[in-house]
Amino acid sequence: MAVVSSPASADPADPAGPPARPRWLTRERWAAIRRPLTTLVVVLAAWEILARNANRLFFAPPSEVVLAAMRLWETGELQHHIWVSFSELIYGVLLAIVIGTAIGVVVGISQRVQAYTEIYITALYATPLVAVTPLLILWLGIGIGSKIAVVFLTAVFPVLINTISGVRATEALLIEVAQSFCASRQQIIMKVTLPSALPYILTGIRLGIGRGIVGVVVGELFGSQAGLGFLIYTSGQTFDVPSLFVGIVTLAVAGVGLTFAAELVERHALRWRRTIRVD
Amino acid sequence: MSARAAAVAVEDLSMEFISRGQRLVALQNIDLDIAPGEFFVIVGPSGCGKTTLLRVLQGLTRATRGRILIGGKVVTGPGTDRGFVFQQDALYPWRSVLRNVGFGLELQGVAKTQARARARAMIDLVGLGGFENHYPHELSGGMRQRVNLARALAIEPAILLMDEPFAALDALTRETMQHELLRIAAAAGTTVIFITHQIDESVFLGDRVAVFATRPGRLQEIIPIDLPRPRPAGVKQSPEFQSHVARIVRLIGSYESH
Repeated sequence: MAVVSSPASADPADPAGPPARPRWLTRERWAAIRRPLTTLVVVLAAWEILARNANRLFFAPPSEVVLAAMRLWETGELQHHIWVSFSELIYGVLLAIVIGTAIGVVVGISQRVQAYTEIYITALYATPLVAVTPLLILWLGIGIGSKIAVVFLTAVFPVLINTISGVRATEALLIEVAQSFCASRQQIIMKVTLPSALPYILTGIRLGIGRGIVGVVVGELFGSQAGLGFLIYTSGQTFDVPSLFVGIVTLAVAGVGLTFAAELVERHALRWRRTIRVD
Repeated sequence: MSARAAAVAVEDLSMEFISRGQRLVALQNIDLDIAPGEFFVIVGPSGCGKTTLLRVLQGLTRATRGRILIGGKVVTGPGTDRGFVFQQDALYPWRSVLRNVGFGLELQGVAKTQARARARAMIDLVGLGGFENHYPHELSGGMRQRVNLARALAIEPAILLMDEPFAALDALTRETMQHELLRIAAAAGTTVIFITHQIDESVFLGDRVAVFATRPGRLQEIIPIDLPRPRPAGVKQSPEFQSHVARIVRLIGSYESH
């Protein structure tokens, strides 16, 4: 990955720098890693000290959380929960991307469809749809289906709303160019509208993933047989606080990881937008 | 490269709009006959309907009355016999130079390798060899208009329609692009209909210059430019060139004062 121009990017050639540091690890990158890491170490240390002096029934120090994680990993339980939650999230989000984008294009293009639907889409976007989870569990059972439905419902509206905005933001001139080259309606959508709306759609997907993670956990809390939400719920029921924290930390790490992955995809897909690089 | 330049006939063309309850005549009874391979320039003040005429020629807008024939066929909509070079920056920012130039061919379903080869040839023709993989934001204004031109030429149109393509360029780049356009148009062998509001540009480029007047937009006079081709260096300083310019200035000025 190229470094966008900035004053300190000439650093790795600096002979006075510490020799132990590999070449790719520039001073900026090292700082970018070191600083949040310092925060983490401080917080973990404080947590450890405080937790050791608190009631162990309700609180667990990081050391015990790590031990619980290793235990859960050895039995294969943790991997299973991660896999179930991850599958629910991916299926739900993929469904949200496909359906949200498709409907978004239709609503974005057609003034008429927009007139019929827009106010309801906005209303549903603002509604915390995780609230319908009990209903979905009633309909679809406590298996993976109801969780996919929750993820889909929570993730589809950010994708939909952003796609509509993106489609509407397409420059008329760019469509006219395609028309002057005798493009069909379908070609205009595929080759002009969608690529032009892509930055918006990707933002919607990123927001959708964030909401989807919440959807997975809430869905599993309400009724499930496996998954990180299930792990959290059952650990709470049995006062197994370290395992409960394993579930929470895993979710936090997954959230950061998925957001980072989405950003990488975004950056790659939108490389045409980047400012001229200075290498 | 194709040399299937076509003739253009504009017959009694009129275009009216209703704007804020007022009838606006953008074009009034326009008649034009443009020969195959001719470089035809339309010059006039803003609001004289020259861009409207070009859009009707391209089939992007429909006229209120009259018709246009290209190679004997009546125009009913956009066609691949015409290539349009837009005024502003009309490139697709997410497409590389190569894929921008190949856009029209891609729409026509031309095989990928063939389309690429033709796009590369056009990029070389407009002098952008080596920039195939650049994105529009990495190019200067002049280079972008070269890409615009290459994209229009890639579909091998019989007619090239150009809507003030150099209006946004600085004076030096504009000068270079004028020379380049004459070279490229001669090599491509198309009929060119070129719109500008710059009088010296019209005289330098055109075989004939149609002077338009405003309110209502109409054809005032067609002036044949009898300067040698290719235009010799320093032609803009020649007395013949200057007298053409002076004549057009008078024609346009006489209507500006109304």
